[in-house]
Amino acid sequence: MKQISIAIILCSATLLTSCKLQKEGLVVMTDDSYKASIVAANKDGIGSPDGLLVRGGRFYLADEGSKSVEMWSKTDGLKILADSNHGFQSPEDLVIDAEGNIFFTDDDVGGLWELDNRGTTRLLAGKDKGLISTEGIALAPDGSILVGDGEQHKVFRVTRDGAVTEFLGKEKGITKPESMVFDDQGNLYIADNQDNVLYLIDLKREIHKLVDRQDSFSPETIYYSKGALYISDSRNGKLYVYRPNEELRVIAAFGGQLKDVQGVTVDDLGNIYVSVQNDLKRKVGTIIEISKDQTAIAKR
Amino acid sequence: MILSSILILLAGRLTDLNDQLLLGINSLAGRSWLFDSIVAFFQDNDLAKAGVIGCCFLAAWYGGKTKDGTDKRRKILIATLVAAVCVITTTKVLSRTIFLPRPEIQSQKIYRLEGNQLVEMKRIPVRIPLDETSQKDYRALLSGTVESNDLGSFPSDHAGFFLAISLGILLASRRLGLVALGWTLFVILAGKLIGGHHTPLDIAAGGAVAIAELSVIQYFARNRFSGWFDKLTGLSLRYSALSSAIIFAVIFEVSSTLTHIRAFLGLLAAMRRHVFLGMG
Repeated sequence: MKQISIAIILCSATLLTSCKLQKEGLVVMTDDSYKASIVAANKDGIGSPDGLLVRGGRFYLADEGSKSVEMWSKTDGLKILADSNHGFQSPEDLVIDAEGNIFFTDDDVGGLWELDNRGTTRLLAGKDKGLISTEGIALAPDGSILVGDGEQHKVFRVTRDGAVTEFLGKEKGITKPESMVFDDQGNLYIADNQDNVLYLIDLKREIHKLVDRQDSFSPETIYYSKGALYISDSRNGKLYVYRPNEELRVIAAFGGQLKDVQGVTVDDLGNIYVSVQNDLKRKVGTIIEISKDQTAIAKR
Repeated sequence: MILSSILILLAGRLTDLNDQLLLGINSLAGRSWLFDSIVAFFQDNDLAKAGVIGCCFLAAWYGGKTKDGTDKRRKILIATLVAAVCVITTTKVLSRTIFLPRPEIQSQKIYRLEGNQLVEMKRIPVRIPLDETSQKDYRALLSGTVESNDLGSFPSDHAGFFLAISLGILLASRRLGLVALGWTLFVILAGKLIGGHHTPLDIAAGGAVAIAELSVIQYFARNRFSGWFDKLTGLSLRYSALSSAIIFAVIFEVSSTLTHIRAFLGLLAAMRRHVFLGMG
């Protein structure tokens, strides 16, 4: 009987633990006109990136796995611009202004961090000014920076000299402003991945729910480019595109170890890039390019 | 070098044959709503799908004409249940380890991670059945919903599980076993092929696991652990009311393709994450 009991326990343990055996990854193109390829992976030096931006062929990463802000390009490789020795712990999302200054958030130690174009890193506004757990970040047309706080359910405005004011209060009902971006008209989009809502704050500061608790929709990062809003969904492993007056459309679905899609950005040619956290604990990550497949378009 | 070339050639031929067989059987789908709905009914309805196998099992359990006959049958059937649990464990572990999406998923443009590259997979142009469930699933796929269960179709756990039970019934009672085996092959597994949920290779592999594990466990039940199985059989006769209740619960679970057991294991996994890992 003892042996049978051991066998049953072993079988149950195998069934339970086998849930994590699948290490493969795949990308399903729900839009045939796109193709997928890997731009950078661990062999290129990157860790497990969250926030992602591309400027002139250079990728800027808020690398949550390596606890650093990095720049990577095919020609120059990886360069660490700032790391946790500066006091931040978990770089979440980042923006770059026209002068090349980088601003980033940190959902662990909070605050808004600045890495200027001379390479100096400093805490622009910290917990003492009310920025407890910072998530989404957006560069406002007036030059200030908007920062979302997931614990206080608020959006703050931070000026370049570090002054903090409340931009959207708790009463607006945005639970977790995970990602934010302005369009070319000055409207602000906010992704709330706790309530699973995509908001639009118009020029009169009126709030509209563009996508409200739709099935399999949890916006992680949003990026605006040429009239379209690109949305990554880490919970459901999807990449969406949203255009005003059109339905939300899935471009690609990610599965297996590629499911956790985090950052999304678009280059000048319209190529989309997503950062994937294959395994955050083990600092494994990938940057995937989703670009137009000219062969598929020609076949059509 | 020559051996590896031959193996590659053979694997290529086998894959081609597998695809051709699948497409041939799947060509029945997507032509008639009525036909597709009937096929889907026997896939989705637990009573229609597995109830027949459960009935055969119960009939074999109680159908012995003498005490010795009943003893022999029950011993085989108890070993069959043990084998079925082992088979489902093996096929689940294998399907979660071997990455092979279901044919219906492979009808889409898919890139697979191989090392540090994304490689486009060969597309399988399966026909999608016209019944409501299949169409709903297909629409979900087009909107990017891919369940993790759909990424490991090799080997088929349905094939392994139901073939193990049907073959076990066949060992206990030839007539009932043929009914169960026929139902498994021509209703349950044929439906999987018609619907494009599995390839013939998935089903053959599931069947191979079932035959191998059932043979091993039946061998042990007859030889090395014969005493234990005799004791269990004796207990089932002595406490007939209790054993009937237990066998009813087991057959109920078999007929519902272990959904409740899976839910219970899911709860255990959630508890483990919650209590030990402090997540969610």
